[in-house]
Amino acid sequence: MSEAVIQAKEVTKTFGKGKKAVTAVEDFDLLVKAREVVTLVGPSGCGKSTVLNMVAGFMSASSGQILLNDKPVTSVEPQCGMIFQSYALFPWMTVQQNVEFGPRVNRLPRAERLNRAKRYIEMVGLNGFEGAYPNQLSGGMLQRVALCRALANEPEVLLCDEPFAALDAMTRQVMQEELLRIVDRSGQTVLFITHSIDEALILSDRIIVMSARPGRVKDMIENHLPRPRHVDMQLGEDFLRMKRRIWKMVEEEVVASMKQGP
Amino acid sequence: MDEEPLGLWTIAVIGAVAVVGFIALWETVVRIGVIDAFFLPAPSMIIKRAYVMAATGEKILLQDIWKRATRVLIGFALSGLVGVPLGLVMGMSKYVRAALNPIISIIRPLPALSWIPLSMLWLGIGEQQKFAIVFMGCFASVLVYTVAATLRVDVILQRAARNLGASRLQVIRHVTLPGALPNILSGLKVVLAIAWTCVISAEMVGANSGLGFRIWTGKEWSDTGQVLVGMISISVTVLILDILFRGVEWLLLPWQREGTTS
Repeated sequence: MSEAVIQAKEVTKTFGKGKKAVTAVEDFDLLVKAREVVTLVGPSGCGKSTVLNMVAGFMSASSGQILLNDKPVTSVEPQCGMIFQSYALFPWMTVQQNVEFGPRVNRLPRAERLNRAKRYIEMVGLNGFEGAYPNQLSGGMLQRVALCRALANEPEVLLCDEPFAALDAMTRQVMQEELLRIVDRSGQTVLFITHSIDEALILSDRIIVMSARPGRVKDMIENHLPRPRHVDMQLGEDFLRMKRRIWKMVEEEVVASMKQGP
Repeated sequence: MDEEPLGLWTIAVIGAVAVVGFIALWETVVRIGVIDAFFLPAPSMIIKRAYVMAATGEKILLQDIWKRATRVLIGFALSGLVGVPLGLVMGMSKYVRAALNPIISIIRPLPALSWIPLSMLWLGIGEQQKFAIVFMGCFASVLVYTVAATLRVDVILQRAARNLGASRLQVIRHVTLPGALPNILSGLKVVLAIAWTCVISAEMVGANSGLGFRIWTGKEWSDTGQVLVGMISISVTVLILDILFRGVEWLLLPWQREGTTS
């Protein structure tokens, strides 16, 4: 048995039929090992989100296979907690109710539900906001709630679809550090989509650069920069060298994707 | 610097002064004979007339208002009881939508007035006929508003719920229904106003009670006072119902209460 948690094998995804068919992802291979943090970087429309949606079980591959712990993903996969850019919190539920949602629909006993909610609310630092509704919170707080809600289900994998893209630069930096701290404690495997090369370099063990549509793996970069990758590190020679290297690759693809149009 | 919105009190004071000023002007022009009181009685005369109609004899004004309110509310409630569930089903199933949309497109443009002949043939001129008129005037709108509200529920929220382990039924109960509720309620508020206009047509043709009947007979006897009392009573009852409806919204939508937005 391999220690691979997420695997994609020659995955192709085509939307639509006949002349209107668009191939979003083609012959895509991926292997994420337990407790790894892997980021997918690439131009908009390169199929990053499609890959994530297939791993989560929201979409099925047109050909090829997605495996989770060596088993094919066939339907919505509760072992993969998803974190969305738009937070996707339920506006009619308080923070507490949002966090309890997963345990509740999975019919956990009330005591266990409360226990988990308490533990994860503490972990992400939301104490005192349990009774607040999402429209009373700032972006950074909302993404904390979303993270907390995903964690309360105790998933093995966290799928992050540009979760920090809508946050201001400073809040983003704080949230990146929080995510790493939390994942380090609770042991999730993370597959993270981002537009930001900085974010990829700060967060991940490995960076996968995707090509313009149809999305394939253009290159894979091991990121051995020492952790924690604070501001000093981000201004250091090693960080900048890697950033330059990745940017060159991404640039070609961005130019290519701009020629394709939307 | 003009962009600052007016405070609640300022708005209330300006509004009150304007209303009092308008009534005073009206009273004066009638008193000094610019307008003949036969065509437009002064406010003081209308109040006297209203007092006579409401407090003496059979208290017909109160009876009329009561009659009318029950007609509106029963017809409206029936259209809601049928229209909201059906609209939810249509919003959730593209097949049901495809099947019922053509039928609704045919019923929807028919004004409540056009149902009067058929409804009188079928149901006579009793209360049932009045309920039927209001029902037919409201039903299609309730349906259309509910379908739109259901379709507007963010797909991301449904996805997030599925991802957290909710079954399709749980998604409907915990996401689609509460997500559609605010827009259904604001749709119902519009329809409630429509219900009032439906009932007036029903009361002017083939009725022997109700505000519409009272306004109509007022005209027959050239009793402009009675006509105006009837009209003002309609305004006041609609206003009161609107306030009650806001109360219902406040109770049902705690996450949208004023002052919860920071």
